[in-house]
Amino acid sequence: MDQKAEDFKNKIESTVPVESSDDSRFRKLLEAAPDAILEVDAEGRIVLLNQTAERMFGYTRQELIGLKVEILVPASMREGHVGRRTNYTSHPQVRPMGNGLELKGQRKDGSLFPVEISLSPNRTGEGLRVIALIRDISERKEAEDRLRAVREQFTAELKAKNDLLESRNLEVEKANRLKSEFLASMSHELRTPLHTILGFSELLLEESEGPLNAKQQRFLGHILQDSRHLLELINEVLDLSKIESGRLELHQAAFDFASVVEEVVGSLRSQSESRNIRLENKNASHFMIYADRLRVKEILYNLLSNGIKFTHDGGSVWVESRTHNGYLEVSVCDTGVGIPAEEHQAIFDKFYQVGDTPRGIREGTGLGLSISQQLVELHGGKIWVNSEMGKGSRFSFTLPLATSDSVAP
Amino acid sequence: MKRILIVEDQPTSRELLRTVLEKLGHQVQESKNGSEALNAIQGEKPDLILMDLQIPAPDGYAVLKEIRANPELQMLPVVALTASAMQGDREKALRAGFTGYMAKPVSLTDLRNEVNRLLGLQ
Repeated sequence: MDQKAEDFKNKIESTVPVESSDDSRFRKLLEAAPDAILEVDAEGRIVLLNQTAERMFGYTRQELIGLKVEILVPASMREGHVGRRTNYTSHPQVRPMGNGLELKGQRKDGSLFPVEISLSPNRTGEGLRVIALIRDISERKEAEDRLRAVREQFTAELKAKNDLLESRNLEVEKANRLKSEFLASMSHELRTPLHTILGFSELLLEESEGPLNAKQQRFLGHILQDSRHLLELINEVLDLSKIESGRLELHQAAFDFASVVEEVVGSLRSQSESRNIRLENKNASHFMIYADRLRVKEILYNLLSNGIKFTHDGGSVWVESRTHNGYLEVSVCDTGVGIPAEEHQAIFDKFYQVGDTPRGIREGTGLGLSISQQLVELHGGKIWVNSEMGKGSRFSFTLPLATSDSVAP
Repeated sequence: MKRILIVEDQPTSRELLRTVLEKLGHQVQESKNGSEALNAIQGEKPDLILMDLQIPAPDGYAVLKEIRANPELQMLPVVALTASAMQGDREKALRAGFTGYMAKPVSLTDLRNEVNRLLGLQ
């Protein structure tokens, strides 16, 4: 023993109460171990055990000494245990028992508890003995079981939610597909008879099959007009449903807003002139906007044709615009009948129609403003109205101005 | 006078088209379905075909495919005249090889213009 070890030993001996012998201290150590310790002879009889073993299995030392160790094994496993024990004594080595199986011990009262066991051979003068270290792992098992239960519950809940989400998605997809199919076939079925109603009406009005009297001409005109109205309704309902199901894609590009105003004003010119309504583009400067040209035309067309519709013969309808915070603010104004304040919101509802036009008839589908609103909002803009009864209306909407990025070739 | 074949299952639509086209001075032949149309083409070759797409078998697309498979008929003007007027229907027809596409209801003016254009009469 070198000097250091000698010093250490002396130090320990001077601070720890001196025991009668090393054996006695060693015994205390074994008794205090948290694991049960047993020694079993070659025939499987219990030869030695510590206090922890007594507590763990509920037997006294006197009861256990000399009994076959199988007394501590669950009744159902005892028979197999004898064979495995014999096998072990012929190939003794230090190893955990059970080979990955979940082992159980059986207490005196018959109750079972989970254990982990390590075996080591101990060759003594009295022959081969086997030392078994037995650890009660009930608490650890319980904690593991609780954790597993929580995890399983969590996983199950997550899966249930995912399944629900997935089935909802499938339902939505299916509903969307069915809706598209329904709309396509509805459109087809309505257009087919309209084709011949419109065609034959046009044909008769051309008088190639013989002259018509004034009344016949007027009646045919009604058929033609209402059939066209029906066609317009079909187109707008389809448009609206496309917008609402998110299937309308904007094809945005930078273009000169004034050019669109010119085109739309041009297409409405004959309509306004026939009623002696002055239709003007007061949009003096050329503003580049970043928008879907076709849809912007549609918005303008809806607002301008509304303006003409609700303006007395000889009145005025015009477009003006100004820039504001990165947006172009466009106003379509008329000197028409005006809209009462309480209807300023409702006019944007689907199928809402303001009172009669100056000519005492209801025209249009009641969808134009609703579609225009949705198209403006798709562009990230707003639409609103200022109007008073008898003082005309001013419909304004905003569209994003083109930036240097969006103008790039 | 040109020969025009109408392929259309709806009798009223056939009558409308025949009336308009005959007034333009053309000779009109009618087929009610795809197989009649294919037979009609075996005979004297038309100068123009106006064809509905949803007709009893074979449908308009299948008939067109047969027509285009014949080297002599590859340049024959065939117009789809259809009530399928949803987004993408025009592109689909033109991609399939139709010379033109008209959605029902078609205005008589548009119909006359398109027919005359394809017959080289304008």
